Amino acid sequence: MRDIPGTVSCIDGNTFIVSDASGDVESSPATPVGLFAADTRFLSRWVLTVNGERMAALSVDDSQYYEVTFFVAPGGAVDYVEADVSGIRRRRIGPDLTESLTIFNYGQGVVDLDVRLEVAADFADIFEIKFDIHDKVGTSYTQIDGNELRLGYRRGTYRREVVVSASERATIDPGGLRFAVRLPPGQQWTTQLQAAMRALRPDGVDLRDALRAQRPEDSTLPDSVREWVAQAPTLDTESAALQQVYHRSLVDLAALRFAPLSLGGATVPAAGLPWFMTLFGRDSLLTCLQTLPVTPSLAPPTLRILASLQGARTDDVLEEDPGRILHELRYGESAAFEEQPHSPYYGTVDASPLFVVLLDEYERWSGDTALVMELEQEARSALTWIDSYADLTSTGYVWYQKRNGATGLDNQCWKDSWDSISYADGRLPGFPRATCETQGYAYDAKIRGARLARTFWGDPDYADRLEREAAALYERFNRDFWLDDRGYYALALDHDGTPVDSLSSNIGHLLWSGIVPPERAARVVEHLMGPALFSGWGVRTFAEGQGRYNPLGYHNGTVWPFDNSFIAWGLRRYGFATEAGRIAEGILSAATYFQGRLPEAFGGFDRSTTRYPVRYPTAGSPQAWSSGAPMLLLRTMLGIDPHEDHLAVNPALPSAFARVALLDIPGRWGRVDAFARQRPDRPASTGGIA
Amino acid sequence: MTATSAFFDRLAAACQDPRFSKVCGSVRFDIGDGDDLEQWLLVIDHGHMKVTRSAAPADTVIRVSVPVADAMARGEVNGLAAITRGEILVDGDLGLALRLGRLFPRASGSGDQTEQPTSSSTP
Repeated sequence: MRDIPGTVSCIDGNTFIVSDASGDVESSPATPVGLFAADTRFLSRWVLTVNGERMAALSVDDSQYYEVTFFVAPGGAVDYVEADVSGIRRRRIGPDLTESLTIFNYGQGVVDLDVRLEVAADFADIFEIKFDIHDKVGTSYTQIDGNELRLGYRRGTYRREVVVSASERATIDPGGLRFAVRLPPGQQWTTQLQAAMRALRPDGVDLRDALRAQRPEDSTLPDSVREWVAQAPTLDTESAALQQVYHRSLVDLAALRFAPLSLGGATVPAAGLPWFMTLFGRDSLLTCLQTLPVTPSLAPPTLRILASLQGARTDDVLEEDPGRILHELRYGESAAFEEQPHSPYYGTVDASPLFVVLLDEYERWSGDTALVMELEQEARSALTWIDSYADLTSTGYVWYQKRNGATGLDNQCWKDSWDSISYADGRLPGFPRATCETQGYAYDAKIRGARLARTFWGDPDYADRLEREAAALYERFNRDFWLDDRGYYALALDHDGTPVDSLSSNIGHLLWSGIVPPERAARVVEHLMGPALFSGWGVRTFAEGQGRYNPLGYHNGTVWPFDNSFIAWGLRRYGFATEAGRIAEGILSAATYFQGRLPEAFGGFDRSTTRYPVRYPTAGSPQAWSSGAPMLLLRTMLGIDPHEDHLAVNPALPSAFARVALLDIPGRWGRVDAFARQRPDRPASTGGIA
Repeated sequence: MTATSAFFDRLAAACQDPRFSKVCGSVRFDIGDGDDLEQWLLVIDHGHMKVTRSAAPADTVIRVSVPVADAMARGEVNGLAAITRGEILVDGDLGLALRLGRLFPRASGSGDQTEQPTSSSTP
């Protein structure tokens, strides 16, 4: 896993290690390399030397996300490595890090080797790394017990510790482990290294013990990944590129699964490496929506944990309200001491409506009425939040304005960077703000909530009310956000109701939510597929020609695969199958330049100019909703949609693919297959269902 | 009367909380230690709450010091943060503990005050 250039990652949910290509970790304060668990860096240095020389990488096998093998030899990056002595570091990540180190002597004589592992732990919180903060409040300690090096950090009742040990006898000092190895020719030497990460309570109990107990045996991990892949539908296509992106995405979704302690072992998707390895409301909900045809097992635990942490009180630091679904949950020192508001932070306006959208969509696929009943109260509370807490100006829209002035988010929509919402001339609007796509989500949530109320909750009056509210929102939205002279919807409303007139990808989500009148859809689509927004790879977040447009602007011009997957879904909803196919072709083709792994975002440069998608410098990868994007694009190309107890199939393949079949799609129908095939006699595709 | 005992008295008087109509389980609060150990058992059965002074076994046991318990009762503690920093020790069903955390008021920030579990609560 090599997406931060030159680095190799090994991932297991929210535990991961990022090293260089030789397996070494040499972190500087501001770089996210090292061994991490629960938002804390437990190893900031992990450097192997032999006779004082660093190791050079010969090759890396990282075909399994939880295991990496480094083939190394002493010597710097020189043209010629005299490799009488070489080594293999086989690393596996689970609740803890294990590394099997083997040194070979292929020379003609006996060698005496000084094998040294330098070890340090700075216990940096991920936010200290992100914001380059160096000063720690607490104190560090080092203990050497027998064959163990214990590095710890203590601040009041907060204590984190890493215990490094080896199976072979080592000389241990505060800076690491040293092995004196004598190797006759043709012989090898091996030691098993372990770095055990502990989050210790004052009574000595490790908070992470429960995590270890919940996990399957290490030896069953390959089976569990095989099982995960086997449970998913089989993709049958002539396109090797599509096969690659499908398989890679499926495995990455497995890699990003993590088990929050409060769920008893059930797993939910972490948002992405390296900055977002935790639960995000929006990211997890959208990922579950994308992957329902493929990995529906992610949805119930995600809905359950978000329900169990749903806001219940009013808190201006956490930006909590009754019914609000969380934005971000963290376990690091900054969250523990409330220096950051992430325990949990509620500063998002879309997670609450999307919670209802996912609950409904999941039922449509699974027929799991029990979950709809179990989460009735939470779904109602989320719907109530939309009108009771989010309508800050009493104008009938979902608005946001941060209440946590110090550490809250300015923008609480998916484009949550500080300058993502601007007028076409570059001015930033005031607060509160109401972005367009959030109104679409709220509309969809009410429509879907009405279906749940009528069909399952036995409350037709509530259903009628939600439908009336949805109809009124539809009217209002199409009056206040529509820019008739431009032919698209405003990105947002300013605090005084002035439309923020820039052209953005957000309008594509409106198609997905169904809030666009059919007679306006063609004009919206014209913009989405026009040269200002469509780069050839996908729809840019922000259109060329806008004041703040920048093809490498995080939310101001890059292309986000997840964004495009929902736009494609929306295009199909309104009958624009060819346009949806163009997006699917563009994004899936881009994936081949990333070895099948779509990053969080890539540059918005024109495809015809660069011919390859330009890497966005700090893009997260793997990223859950980027791994989910190919799944949703497959759904849109196949045109699969649940109708009662069967799965409708209405394929529309872009010409890049001759044949796409998804076999054994799970759902309330059992398992069914969906086929799409180009037919020479028809430019559009056709298909059927088995 | 301490903030803690006032809090449990309020819960006992409230008897039920519709927010927990689908929750069943028991939580014991062990407050302080040694000779000063004060134990409260909260049993929830579909929203009906029974609060007693009891050392009986429970699905979840929450251990805190007296000052932390009082701070919780006054709404000054973020439960999840306090668990993460080792001030609140939870054994057993953490999910249940997090749900029941909503019973505690929350007074941080400048926003409006906490919602009490039911209208029958007393100051």
